[in-house]
Amino acid sequence: MAGPDREIAAAIAERVAGAGIELVASLPDGWIAALIEEFEADARFDHIPVNREESAVGLCSGAFFGGRGSLALMGASGLMTCIYAITKINYTYMVPMTIFITMRGRLGDRAKFHVSNGLYLEPVMQSIDLPYTVIDRRDGLDEIGRAVAHSRTISRPVVVGFTRDLLYGESG
Amino acid sequence: MAMAMEACFAHLVERWTDQVVVTSAGNASEMWWKLTGETERVFYLEASMSLASLFAAGIAYGIPRANVWAFSGDGAFLMNPGMLTVERRLGLPNLTHFLVDNGVYGATFEVGMSDAGETDYAALARACGLRNVFRFGTLADLRDGMDEVERVNGEAFAVLEVEPLGGALPDPPMDGPECKFRFGRYLERTYGVRIFDARV
Repeated sequence: MAGPDREIAAAIAERVAGAGIELVASLPDGWIAALIEEFEADARFDHIPVNREESAVGLCSGAFFGGRGSLALMGASGLMTCIYAITKINYTYMVPMTIFITMRGRLGDRAKFHVSNGLYLEPVMQSIDLPYTVIDRRDGLDEIGRAVAHSRTISRPVVVGFTRDLLYGESG
Repeated sequence: MAMAMEACFAHLVERWTDQVVVTSAGNASEMWWKLTGETERVFYLEASMSLASLFAAGIAYGIPRANVWAFSGDGAFLMNPGMLTVERRLGLPNLTHFLVDNGVYGATFEVGMSDAGETDYAALARACGLRNVFRFGTLADLRDGMDEVERVNGEAFAVLEVEPLGGALPDPPMDGPECKFRFGRYLERTYGVRIFDARV
């Protein structure tokens, strides 16, 4: 089975750089493996692998006060572990942040253990009024820059979710 | 061996010059507020459950000429000791991470911790590959050792062994947004960074 598409990863990285992001803090999900490698190899970014997703929330929130654009990159399950950190840091102190996740559990996900994300990921984001947008086609990648800008406008995190079809280069 | 927490922090306040400070929940925030009343050079990061040092690391990363002091409580630290691997990876020469080791959850009536205060945090830090690790159990040790902490000032990690405070102190009387803007404006004014009007 083919892995995540490197051309799509490069196209995403291009939009991220264009949005002024310099620091990328990541923890992997198989779907974003190529994207992580792209950030690691691209000299426009400082890529920092973190030990758990909450650490990315802490690091990126601090980077805001350092005047640096940052991105927390993780799987859907990782976001589910970050609810406390997001509400406590980013909501309490009104700190913007951009978070990329995988839209696990949607049609096309073949991992049975992500069924729970299919059931609860979006309801959880909605329950804490966490704005998110889902990109499932290559022609939707301009949403990335809009999401980064929107986070700054509302002084809160904004999530961008990518589908498997997009990340594997199987969408339009 | 352990120091009185107030005496320990009073010594750090005496040595405090231009460092930007990030405090964690409970006793560290309360004590720093009690001793300094500072509202601009300190970010009182309440109840982040282990993220104070990485929050501070983000600041240190963004502003290399700012020296940043971060305080973690041992209760928070045990929730996420893997943070040290990230700090090592970042290798920031302008970040000093103080771990306040009192063996109890100071923010919650000093309820005991899972490790019963037995963890050797300095050994843990060394095992994670941090190079500049310090452990201070007496005020004399702290007085003697802080010169070296400040001299290395690179991915420095210092364990402060202190006695439980014996009660809570008043919290800094600021809501989150006030803390954000006071601190952020200070950084903008002092270091010339663009935070609130950045294009990002």
